[in-house]
Amino acid sequence: MTTIDRRGLLGTGLAATAAMGLGTGASAKNPAPLAPGRSKADFAGAMKAFRSVVGAEWVFGDEEAVAPWTKTYIPDPSGHYKPVGAVCPENVEQVQEIVRIANTFKQPLWTVSTGKNMGYGMTAPATPGQVVLDLKRMNRILEVDADLGTCLLEPGVTYQQLKDYLEDNNIPLWIDVPTVGPIASPVGNTLDRGVGYTPYGEHFMFQCGMEVCLPDGRLMRTGMGSIKGSTAWQAFKWGYGPYVDGLFTQSNYGIVTKMGLWLMPRPPVYKPFMVRHPEMGDTPKIIEAMRPLRVSSLVANCNLMMSASYQLAMFKRRNEIVPDGAPLDEASLKKAAKANGLGMWNTYFALYGTEQTVAAIEPIIRAQLTASGGEVMTAAEMEGNPWFHHHQTLMQGGLNLDEIGLLRWRGSGGGLAWFAPVAAARGAEAERQTALAREILEKHGFDYTAAYAIGWRDLHHIIALLFDKSDPAQHAAADACYRELVTRFGAQGWASYRTGVNSMDLVAQQYGEVNRDFNRTLKHAIDPNGILAPGKSGIV
Amino acid sequence: MGTRAVLAGGLAAAAVLAMPALAAQKLGEVQPPRAPEQVYAKVCGYCHGRNVGPVILGRHLPAEAIRYVARHGQNGMPAFRPSEISDAELAALADWISRADARTGEHGQ
Ligand SMILES: Cc1cc2nc3c(=O)[nH]c(=O)nc-3n(C[C@H](O)[C@H](O)[C@H](O)COP(=O)(O)OP(=O)(O)OC[C@H]3O[C@@H](n4cnc5c(N)ncnc54)[C@H](O)[C@@H]3O)c2cc1C
Ligand code: HEC
Repeated sequence: MTTIDRRGLLGTGLAATAAMGLGTGASAKNPAPLAPGRSKADFAGAMKAFRSVVGAEWVFGDEEAVAPWTKTYIPDPSGHYKPVGAVCPENVEQVQEIVRIANTFKQPLWTVSTGKNMGYGMTAPATPGQVVLDLKRMNRILEVDADLGTCLLEPGVTYQQLKDYLEDNNIPLWIDVPTVGPIASPVGNTLDRGVGYTPYGEHFMFQCGMEVCLPDGRLMRTGMGSIKGSTAWQAFKWGYGPYVDGLFTQSNYGIVTKMGLWLMPRPPVYKPFMVRHPEMGDTPKIIEAMRPLRVSSLVANCNLMMSASYQLAMFKRRNEIVPDGAPLDEASLKKAAKANGLGMWNTYFALYGTEQTVAAIEPIIRAQLTASGGEVMTAAEMEGNPWFHHHQTLMQGGLNLDEIGLLRWRGSGGGLAWFAPVAAARGAEAERQTALAREILEKHGFDYTAAYAIGWRDLHHIIALLFDKSDPAQHAAADACYRELVTRFGAQGWASYRTGVNSMDLVAQQYGEVNRDFNRTLKHAIDPNGILAPGKSGIV
Repeated sequence: MGTRAVLAGGLAAAAVLAMPALAAQKLGEVQPPRAPEQVYAKVCGYCHGRNVGPVILGRHLPAEAIRYVARHGQNGMPAFRPSEISDAELAALADWISRADARTGEHGQ
């Protein structure tokens, strides 16, 4: 098995791995190109000026130094998605200075907060020649209000830092994490409109107030933040006049330097559930049963409805289930699922409240889900099951990185691209989506490792395109497969809620010319030099 | 009176408590430098010795190679940038990992 080979290799001297640049994507032969129309002198001038602002040790320009910003999981057979440098400010004033310099030298900047946008491109920019503006060093927790359940954060604060702070100070507030909390951030995740799994899981809905460095270097506060003496910056979202916070998400209109967020009070009772359904064909039944519970908020958190294959891919290798080269057939999947206490679909949700409210709601939910053909399980029955444990952790904002195991499902090359089309929460639509996804994935030799995140009224169909990036044929196939997924889903009216740097333009096309033109008009008006993240969401 | 004594006492206490207890992040301040055990517990240890990565403690891997893998990532492992784990933190961490004993309860993947 590949792991053992690798282990053996490492045993004989990890230095050899280092010398070969194994699996790191670094290559001395292909230095990253500069931005269009920029000369070596422009680039050198910008880098020199950046050094004078943040110090030489926080500017990275040569290829080896930039390597930590080049690692990605996404398909990129032509090596297109690479930054030329990185700069790491430690405060807002430095950000403003960097932006002014970028304007002078017309040097594009690709902003990241914690840069762990894994499966979407990590810290790699959407177009060549950009310097990563890495805000991880700005990681101050500026305010936590235990009464209002709010906080004000800098971009570099990880979920881990925030959780540690709340625990160290006995503040009874929860955080809400995407699956990869320890190394990702509330600000970065919210700006890409990511999701988590407590009742505060639709992150942008729980954002309140921002400070933004505009492309001309000025600072703007949104909502109540620009009113001198206001105490409501983190309490009242809308402020006055046009509501602009959304403009700074999934966009390149500004650099968010502070963000307010709402935090959920720790409930007296937290009770996680898992519902097992025995057949892949149960998709519509599950969604029809879940929708009224979600729309009415009887079930208040974003549910994850996980396919057996997605679940198994977290902790197993593909060749433990079917031989290499064989398709992942339903019979083998069923057998493996059963052996691990899983159904073909596994839907996780939780109840939050008091003893009385949970006791009152539970029977209603049980009746509804049992009637859909599901087995309703709780911690009592699932004790010790690693999948249940994982979701039990997530749905209370707990931290782990277990899901990164997905990267090792198929070979060890570490290839993952998320494809996440949106639909309304209707069973029939999901059934059609699953059929189409399976057809396209299987055609290119990949597995349907997918989940549905059942939102308040929507579905995010979260498809993990898992491939071995060290195998050139698979790498190329994954690239082609991803494009086909986007295109053919789009033709049915299903477009992505978010996408990786490898497909930003493609997805932007689907949202139409009027929308693109509006975005472009705004961009030209506020960022005439095009220095902020060209290519983000297809906006150049 | 006892500035000296207080200071000495404080320093002794600091030594006893070692890094973890002291290094809690304060409101309005950036995260202070972390000891190797903390970085391991709050980053590497979520994957290594658990469900995701191979065991790396007790294998006496060369420190230089650990630093290389941390900065470049490797296959399923993401890279960690100097902005996330400083050069000083990483040097101490790599050294610590290469000398650490194996931990019971850890398992590889
Ligand atoms: C196994 C696995 C599971 C995952 N599960 C989830 C999940 O459950 N939910 C989920 O949402 N994601 C998930 N992800 C995807 C991703 O890893 C997370 O969304 C992660 O939170 C994003 O990285 P980050 O927080 O470091 O944000 P960053 O990478 O820092 O930011 C993301 C993007 O937002 C923009 N941006 C960031 N900061 C700024 C700023 N200050 N100003 C302007 N623009 C900015 C940039 O375009 C940047 O690329 C998963 C990934 C993997 C591999
Ligand atoms: C998100 C999960 C994850 C995190 C966090 C992580 N690693 Fe890894 N690491 C892996 C995986 C997976 C591999 C195996 C890569 C492969 O298949 O080549 C690995 C491999 C390694 C190796 C090579 C050892 C071997 O036997 O292959 C070293 C050394 C290493 N990691 C060090 C670290 C250090 C130090 C940290 C903390 C700074 C860390 N890792 C954090 C997932 C992780």
